[in-house]
Amino acid sequence: MNYTNQTMKIVSYFALFLSLTLSSSLFANRGLEIALLSDKNNEGYGDSSSTMTMELISKKGDVVTRELRFKRLEVPEDGDKSIAVFESPRDVKGVAILSYAHKQEADDQWLYLPALKRVKRIASKNKSGPFLGSEFSFEDFSFQEVEKYEYEYIKDESYLGKDCFVIKRIPLDPYSGYTKQLAWIDKENYLLQKIHHFDRKSFHLKTQTFGEYKQYLGFFWQPHRIEMQNHQNGKSSVLKFEEVFFKQGLTANDFSQNSLKRSR
Amino acid sequence: MQSNAKYLALFLISFFLLPIKAEFIGEISLDNRHFFNDGALGQDNNHSSISFSPEIFENLEDDRIFHFKAKLRNDNKDTERNLVDIQELYFIEIGESKEIKYGMSKEFWGVTETSHRVDIINQTDTTESFDGEDKLGQPMVKVSLEKNWGNIDLYALLGFRERTYSGDKGRLRLPVLIDTDNPIYESSAKNKRTDFAIRWSHYFDEFEVALSHFSGTSREPRLMPSAKKLNHLTPYYEKINQTGLEALYLIGGLALKLEAIRRSGQGDTFSAATAGFEYTQVGIADSRIDLGWILEANHDDRLSNSPFVVGTRLTFNDSYDSQILSGMFINEKTEEIGMLIEASRRIASCCMISLEAMYFDDANEDNGEIKLFGPFKEDDFMRIEFIYYFGE
Repeated sequence: MNYTNQTMKIVSYFALFLSLTLSSSLFANRGLEIALLSDKNNEGYGDSSSTMTMELISKKGDVVTRELRFKRLEVPEDGDKSIAVFESPRDVKGVAILSYAHKQEADDQWLYLPALKRVKRIASKNKSGPFLGSEFSFEDFSFQEVEKYEYEYIKDESYLGKDCFVIKRIPLDPYSGYTKQLAWIDKENYLLQKIHHFDRKSFHLKTQTFGEYKQYLGFFWQPHRIEMQNHQNGKSSVLKFEEVFFKQGLTANDFSQNSLKRSR
Repeated sequence: MQSNAKYLALFLISFFLLPIKAEFIGEISLDNRHFFNDGALGQDNNHSSISFSPEIFENLEDDRIFHFKAKLRNDNKDTERNLVDIQELYFIEIGESKEIKYGMSKEFWGVTETSHRVDIINQTDTTESFDGEDKLGQPMVKVSLEKNWGNIDLYALLGFRERTYSGDKGRLRLPVLIDTDNPIYESSAKNKRTDFAIRWSHYFDEFEVALSHFSGTSREPRLMPSAKKLNHLTPYYEKINQTGLEALYLIGGLALKLEAIRRSGQGDTFSAATAGFEYTQVGIADSRIDLGWILEANHDDRLSNSPFVVGTRLTFNDSYDSQILSGMFINEKTEEIGMLIEASRRIASCCMISLEAMYFDDANEDNGEIKLFGPFKEDDFMRIEFIYYFGE
């Protein structure tokens, strides 16, 4: 009997310990919970092809436009694959970037230069630099796998009339250009509405907003307008998705190095 | 060149007779090179040229691509710099994890920046620029296979293109003229020989590797005293076998690179290699400017000394894509230094402008060594190029 009692005691202590750690970890990871629910929106799309324009807006309001095409393939067990092909300006027409995202390790990236017919492996760690001269960095363009951040729930706040969660995420990658990000995620559909990006000096450098969400395939929400405002230099960039098609039957074959070379 | 022009004309006629919906684009480039000193052989100080490159690209069906690109160039001083070349005129048939390309095309092999040891499919157009980056179209059939263990490319190279050399009135040329009208071939098939090449490439996380083999007529000729023309050199194109290795390893933002070849068939079997690194500092001094560093060392069994190169690349990341590239070629043994600076930016969405300057420095004029830049010591120059792009 004594023996059983002791076992019971140990078991109950263990259960108490387990429930304590679980609840405290749940409490600390409410941010992660929200991030995971938000990330669910990126699942199940299969593949997508889009044409987009990017407007670079100077402090004075002058606008220059870039056009690009973007293909994406969902790879559930690892990160997604994508090809971005530049259409304009003319001197970069046909330049393309192939990316294989990974949940844990650094992404694999190749750049294709059509004038030289050269495929060049590029260091994905150099991701904090500007993308195509815009206020977006390469990092803002790559897939933001949940595993690559640490999360913390901050507060509830209304943004543009939508009830939102505000969560803090800290990039785990030391090569990230950001020390932290604050993300506004709406409570209805768990869609990203706004991100404040803080640079290495913890200065609120940029604000990214997501708008014109449209639903595809009956469940997949795609923003058609993403804007990045740089508070330091007064410039902004607007990415507009002109056309988006889903489930076009793309396969890994369309995301190989050979397909990168013929991607224009 | 004559026959090339004939094919081009034929092609253009057939293209306009068969109306197809395709993307028609192109570029026109004007360039002027100003040499600071009189030519060692009495050549002029200002050389201008105009180039025209029309291009057609079409996805015929989901699994077939057509691509055409020609390059026509006219130089106001050096007739050897005039060019009519079909750079691309091919179809690609796309299959499941494979593709077949047939026609004229350009193919690049390699990882290093300042010298391309392994790259061998296409002939070099040395008259376009000093760096050897400009190539001529090569007729080929290429089969590419994508396997779990890497990509395999098999090439049958149908026929041979001769290397271009500056003529009598050209600059950046050897003191002795090259008799390009009377090349000598080791192969009895001369420039009709079919050459073969194979390349395997793969990557393992941060490590990229490629192995290749080429068997055929050397793109790089040996220059022999001409039996036909006095004071001329004749290009001698021998049959060679060349095995190449390319490797690249990424450590964070640092890329370590190696290219090495072993070639037989041109006198003694020899090896040559280029190794070095590339590193980019993203956003220097809290700006949006990136600073890239390139350091590459060269070795060639045939030379007593090869230069090493230090280069920098400033990328401004502005809406004009402004860039400044600089390089210093240092040849320790011969006490020579070559310096290059290249700047380019976009002007509106239609046009680009670029400036290039090259300076050759010889610290010790006569130190008993054969000078690598000796023939070019009067050829310091500045080049300005304006490119206009047309079509959408």
